[in-house]
Amino acid sequence: MLRVENLHVSVDSTPIIKGLNLTIRRGEIHVIMGRNGAGKSTLANVVMGHPAYEITSGEIHFQGRPLEELAVFERARAGMFLSFQYPAVIPGVQVGTFLKKSVASVRDDPPKGRAFRKELNEAMSKLEMDKSFLSRYVNDGFSGGEKKRLEILQMLLLKPSLALLDETDSGLDIDALRIVSKGINEVAPEAGCLIITHYQRLLDHVKPHYVHAMIDGAIVKTGGPELALELEERGYDWLDAAA
Amino acid sequence: MSYLQMAVPSRSAHLWRYTPWNRIHPTKPDELPDVDSLKFEVEGYEVSPLVKTSHGSEIARAFLYEVGGEAQKLTINGKGEVIHVRARAGGHIAVGHLDLDVKGEATIILHLSGDAGWCGLHLSGTIHPNAHLGFGFINELDQSTKLLRCDDWSIERDASLDNATLSVGGFNCKSDMRATLNGTNASIRQSVTAHGQGARHDDHHIEIHHLHGHTNSDLVTNAACAGRSHFVATGLLTIAEGADGSDAGQVFRNLLLSEKARAEAIPELEVLADDVSAAHGAASAPIDASQLHYLMSRGLSPEESESMIVNGFLIDAFSNLKNDALIEQMRSRLTVHLECELKR
Repeated sequence: MLRVENLHVSVDSTPIIKGLNLTIRRGEIHVIMGRNGAGKSTLANVVMGHPAYEITSGEIHFQGRPLEELAVFERARAGMFLSFQYPAVIPGVQVGTFLKKSVASVRDDPPKGRAFRKELNEAMSKLEMDKSFLSRYVNDGFSGGEKKRLEILQMLLLKPSLALLDETDSGLDIDALRIVSKGINEVAPEAGCLIITHYQRLLDHVKPHYVHAMIDGAIVKTGGPELALELEERGYDWLDAAA
Repeated sequence: MSYLQMAVPSRSAHLWRYTPWNRIHPTKPDELPDVDSLKFEVEGYEVSPLVKTSHGSEIARAFLYEVGGEAQKLTINGKGEVIHVRARAGGHIAVGHLDLDVKGEATIILHLSGDAGWCGLHLSGTIHPNAHLGFGFINELDQSTKLLRCDDWSIERDASLDNATLSVGGFNCKSDMRATLNGTNASIRQSVTAHGQGARHDDHHIEIHHLHGHTNSDLVTNAACAGRSHFVATGLLTIAEGADGSDAGQVFRNLLLSEKARAEAIPELEVLADDVSAAHGAASAPIDASQLHYLMSRGLSPEESESMIVNGFLIDAFSNLKNDALIEQMRSRLTVHLECELKR
């Protein structure tokens, strides 16, 4: 589904990702952990096509197609979804209007009218979101937890084939973490998932197939869920030599 | 002093800096041309002739007073109803004055349309003690029409005015909107939403005067400027000596959608009281790249994303209002406008 080969990425001529390789297949949950500045969020943003990042060498293929052929909105329509670490605030745009438009843009056979409202209500119910969310402006005045829930709500409705979750668990209290995890687990069986996180606690709720340690722009160690526990216990210094 | 005795105001004056009087006058500044009446049709209400007594010393008001045209008065003792007033400007030059005398609670939407070459509109209103008015002005004039609009509002003790403007029509528009808070606990929440396209020039001068203590004002202008359009917002907020406990805010925001679009945002404060809260801010910028990226990452094309951001930006100007019926009316009309623009 997603194949990243020897990827090098720079921002303002500063190399951030330096030779990263990663393959994600349908139904797999991958977790990337690493220090601040290791390049984790850069990877997610590059895959989604953020214009600030420049791929200097290497390739990314999504569903067999080179990603460079696809504009950002085409990537979304092809089934890619990024849960942003810091979602943008869009004043004046109601959540309900935004969701409807987004679903209509992304899904091949989008639900309409009553069917859409039913699906929306069910998804919101799973995430324990009040209906008043729908009339609020997108992320405007939202708490950190509310923003993350809205990201997960979008993921449920857009039904992506590849979900990139950039620190979706950061700043969440225990209840919110449980709810957000429920959303991830619902999408994961039918999609490839890449979860970027600093904390092992998310993995109490979401069981990954692979955990990757990222140091200085490259994956230096890959393991199972036990690696997350080890990283939380030992930190990253012991992996510096591998980088 | 009559209009013809008045000197053409200097462009150095705050009010006339960006749209000088000779540019907005329908003919030549030393003329009082013949005009047609701009009539106001009110659904379900009778309007009565307005007996105008004086015009003061301000040149635009003096001109509108002396040039004639229609003058009508609408008296309302409202119970929360929504009243639509329609005025259609026809002929070469159309001029009208509508005076509102408001008690109780009501929402009034004034729809101004038509293809006159020039339209002069004087709006005045008294919001009596403990009355609450939501007033929406929708400028949907033809794209070739010039507009001169003057507002004079008096808001009495414990009264409130939610005053919303949606400016999407006309080619060259000059609005001079003034409100006076005349009693304790009087308040005004004012919003101006403007969409500039082509070579449209739209100039709003907004004055709010706090004459008494414990009065409140909140002004927001949001303008989206495309093409070679030019939007101007100048504000004058005064808090009189002794008007302690007043709370006032002004925010002017402009969204520049093309390299040739221009916008001026100039808030100005004159605070003579000691114990007040007064704030102002202004910002002009292109569309935020992070907003565009976010919407595109949700499958919206660049054009759809930009349209949604502009729509939201314009609607957001109404966020400071509290009159739900007014907000709904203004939002609906704005949405229709933007949908029409999208189809062009």
